[in-house]
Amino acid sequence: MVLKEQFEIPGGLKKWSYALMAVGVLTLILGVVYLHPFSGGHGEAHGAEAYGATKFWMALMHNSIFWLLVTAASFFFISATTLAQGGWQVAFRRVPEAISGSINILGPITLVILLGYVWLSPDHHIYHWKDVEHVKHDAKLTWKAGFLNPTFYTVLSIAAVGLWIWFRNWYRKNSIAEDLAGKADHSFYWKSLAISAAFLVTYGLTVMSTLPWMWLMSIDAHWFSTMYSWYTFASSWVSGISLMMLFVVFLKNKGYLELVSEEHIHDIGKFMFAFSVFWTYLWFSQYMLIWYSNQPEETEYFIDRIGAGGHGGPFKAIFLLNLIINFLAPLLILMRRGSKRNYTVVTLMAVIIIFGHWLDFYQMITPGPLKELGQESNSLSHFLYSLGISAGFLGLVIFLTAKYLTKASLLPKNHPLIKESIIHHT
Amino acid sequence: MSLLKYESQVREPLVDGNKTYHQVTEDICGPVEAAPSRLWWIGFIISVALLLFGVVSIYKEVVYGTGMWNLNKTIGWGWDITNFVWWVGIGHAGTLISAILLLFRQGWRTGVNRAAEAMTIFAVMCAGQFPVWHMGRVWMAFFVFPYPNTRGPLWVNFNSPLLWDVFAISTYFTVSLLFWYSGLIPDLATLRDRAKKKWAKAFYGVTSFGWTGSTKHWQRHESLSLVLAGLSTPLVLSVHTIVSFDFATSVIPGWHTTIFPPYFVAGAIFSGFAMVQTLMLVTRKVMNLEDYITISHIENMNKVIVLTGSIVGCAYLTELFMAWYGASKYEYDIFFKYRIAGPYGWSYWLMMTCNVITPQLFWVKKLRRNIAFTFLMSVVVNIGMWFERFVIIVSSLYRDYLPSSWSVYYRPSIWEVGFYLGSFGLFFTCYFLFSKYFPVIAIAEIKHILKKSGESFKEAMDPLEEQSVDEFVHQAHAHH
Amino acid sequence: MPVKKFVVGCFDDEKTLFPAVKNTRKAGYKIHDLYTPFPIHGLDKAMGLRDTSLHTAGFIYAITGTTTALTFMSWVFTKDWPLNIGGKPHLPLPAFIPIVFELTVLCAAVGMVLTFCYLCQLAPFVKKDHFHLRATDDLMVMPIEITDKTNADEVKAFLQNAGAVEVFEKEAETGWWIGRYDRDRKVFEKEEKTVIA
Repeated sequence: MVLKEQFEIPGGLKKWSYALMAVGVLTLILGVVYLHPFSGGHGEAHGAEAYGATKFWMALMHNSIFWLLVTAASFFFISATTLAQGGWQVAFRRVPEAISGSINILGPITLVILLGYVWLSPDHHIYHWKDVEHVKHDAKLTWKAGFLNPTFYTVLSIAAVGLWIWFRNWYRKNSIAEDLAGKADHSFYWKSLAISAAFLVTYGLTVMSTLPWMWLMSIDAHWFSTMYSWYTFASSWVSGISLMMLFVVFLKNKGYLELVSEEHIHDIGKFMFAFSVFWTYLWFSQYMLIWYSNQPEETEYFIDRIGAGGHGGPFKAIFLLNLIINFLAPLLILMRRGSKRNYTVVTLMAVIIIFGHWLDFYQMITPGPLKELGQESNSLSHFLYSLGISAGFLGLVIFLTAKYLTKASLLPKNHPLIKESIIHHT
Repeated sequence: MSLLKYESQVREPLVDGNKTYHQVTEDICGPVEAAPSRLWWIGFIISVALLLFGVVSIYKEVVYGTGMWNLNKTIGWGWDITNFVWWVGIGHAGTLISAILLLFRQGWRTGVNRAAEAMTIFAVMCAGQFPVWHMGRVWMAFFVFPYPNTRGPLWVNFNSPLLWDVFAISTYFTVSLLFWYSGLIPDLATLRDRAKKKWAKAFYGVTSFGWTGSTKHWQRHESLSLVLAGLSTPLVLSVHTIVSFDFATSVIPGWHTTIFPPYFVAGAIFSGFAMVQTLMLVTRKVMNLEDYITISHIENMNKVIVLTGSIVGCAYLTELFMAWYGASKYEYDIFFKYRIAGPYGWSYWLMMTCNVITPQLFWVKKLRRNIAFTFLMSVVVNIGMWFERFVIIVSSLYRDYLPSSWSVYYRPSIWEVGFYLGSFGLFFTCYFLFSKYFPVIAIAEIKHILKKSGESFKEAMDPLEEQSVDEFVHQAHAHH
Repeated sequence: MPVKKFVVGCFDDEKTLFPAVKNTRKAGYKIHDLYTPFPIHGLDKAMGLRDTSLHTAGFIYAITGTTTALTFMSWVFTKDWPLNIGGKPHLPLPAFIPIVFELTVLCAAVGMVLTFCYLCQLAPFVKKDHFHLRATDDLMVMPIEITDKTNADEVKAFLQNAGAVEVFEKEAETGWWIGRYDRDRKVFEKEEKTVIA
């Protein structure tokens, strides 16, 4: 048997990625023209115009942060399994390696968007804390200014994204060097463990703590929840696994990854199942505790979404849908052994989970600024706009992943655990 | 599936030495069949003495009331609930090792899972004592159950996290017991079939339920273990989550915070692993099981300790940050005036040192593989985790909203301490009996992995290790 | 339960066991059962056993627990004795989740273990005939049933060829009875037979 090690991008995939990127760019251009991204702020532009700018930046932030965290999650997957000395994932490890390559481009794009909003856009409906006048009259924001200020925001964002990219590329370099070296050399393997450990510490200090507070939680600037970052992490992590599943299944369908069998698919499916439940666990813990103690400074977050006292909030439907597709669907569908081994079912579930968590990010980001703008209902046009931008990011992720897949053999054949992966059995 | 037995040489063997299936049986059953050693008797007698002291302490408390404890106006929960949470936390490692590590296919769990599960059950038994005797009028304890009663159809309050605890702890105890015992049955049958003495034949005959080792039974047994593992994984998370709800659903500063559930779970795993280390380091030495609980096992557990210790550290810092960031006066005061400073500030810093700072030493490989250091650290971590609960409970309570009730410094009475020591007595009495009369290592599971991870078998895998991927794939297919 | 006659082959290595099982089935002999000291993956398939559906039973027990807990608590709080507890709604779903979850797990676990014990006839004081005491130590023990059509000597020779390390004939009870392992076995049917005779 001759194993296909070199990936060639199928024409269809290329076309799709270009088409999706075109939709994204078109949406972006429409936004620049019609939504006046650099208007807003004080004095000028009110109503529709101010709303336009907020909407524009909101859609960009939502999608860039979401897709950056999701692609970074695949490097988290590699690091976690490497450190746990898991053998089963080696046969398809080049896939998450390639996906995580996307952060090389997505990282800078996200930084441009976030820093562009913080420094260049006069709009301040997303981050009130950057409005100096407003902060002066707001005791809580004055108190928080030591953390919520543009300088610290910039330093932390650049440092975090820079470190991820640096660690990812270091790991990748080491991984490819292992391919080219003599097979008895385990030094690459031990080095990969060290890189993974260092990255996990970085990840813990960024994605699992500081970064979501700064990027996302500060949108509802008065509100706080200690769970927030772990929750955000869980959301991006389960989507990251699902994205990996999609690429693995795609490559299998195209005749690559011959050594990956149902057994491996089954295990990725288990991860999708388990971490969907884990996400729900964190969701419940956060929601239930805030609901139970019923303190106004905490419940406002949920009131903005689902309303209270018989008045439905603008995001009630999305809020419930979120639970159905991110919890009930994976729970009921992926519970059976057979469905975790069925390529069609796992593909469908992966798509549903990614969309579900995209929606989760949507309802985490949008309600705060909308309330600020006095919008009573969730705006369909904004939803569609965000979806259009998302198409661009998705296209970019596909394009970049495919590109990185071609850059190395699909089979890390000198990895000391590759043989365990080959005979892996669930 | 391939029947090829292979494991990478980068992994250390899980069973050292040149073992056969029979040798495994001999090694593990030997200490059970031998007469108890002098060391065992000394340990056992000390444990029973402690247990008796605990019984006396509880007797005092029941007869004279909870006033025998130094709980006061604001500190209504003191050592009792601290001990409860501490023991429940320790009771998490067993199920975690068996269930979560099974699902994450960490092969090294086989060496330690049996003893860890037993430890879990004993720890939960100890934990259960505290809320029960804390009730004061303990003969009314059955009030916690929802049963139709003489007070009209007045049911228990299903909204109360304390009631959730009743369900959580009793379910956890039951399921852990079933999981542990169903795994023990085949090993008890091994002891039964080797028994020479009459009492041993009778005892292991009854306890092994007539197990034969039929293939169909093994198939069902595997299915049962897998499902119980799958159920236990969320269960183990839910138990400490619900314990954390006891605090987090309230509106007491320092207690009400959303990160509590996962942070408590991480802390529970952390302290549980530390206790497993303490016990296993002694057990392997006393019972000559160094070939089964190897340095590599110890190193792996130390890795889990540094991981969970760091997660706990992340949660501590998150809490501290949010106490400032939240801009809530009460929250800020509790953390920055009464927790990290104030009369109990020492306990906060003790907690930080033991739980977050010193475990970082385990990043050093040499220390991870050093037995004396590991033993010391396992004790340090458990002291730290006891103080974590103490800090949470006492430092949030001793300054309440009414300054006139701010209490005097809380020191436990001798009967409070006696109760705690008594729980150690219960725990170690059970553990000594277990380690004497039951196989402390899962015999069947070790045999199951022997030909894959045993030292002599791994040495024979060198030719496979030398093969190229293509050759290996070819051979794996030939073994269908 | 009847007492039957068997030829028992004992193997000490999985490598010889798997081909032996395959060939025995091919030769048309009836494998009564295969007793092993530890679970051997793939052996059930090799013997032609069907998959167990124990996990399906577990699922059914689980949803029983879920519905019991949900309906009971809802009934108590809305119909039987509605109370205002801290201003919470009468049907406080989030507050029900913990107990619902615990009962789901409890019912599933207890139900499955009982089902398992029932199916495998496991209980305290249950006693069975064992073909070889080392079946729980290091031997894989394969009894082949001897009927009128099979020749015991032929089977013995066959098993020896297949790599069995030990081969012998044995009469054994195939069912279970209440008994103690420290006493000699007394099969009720045997006793009855002697009474009749």
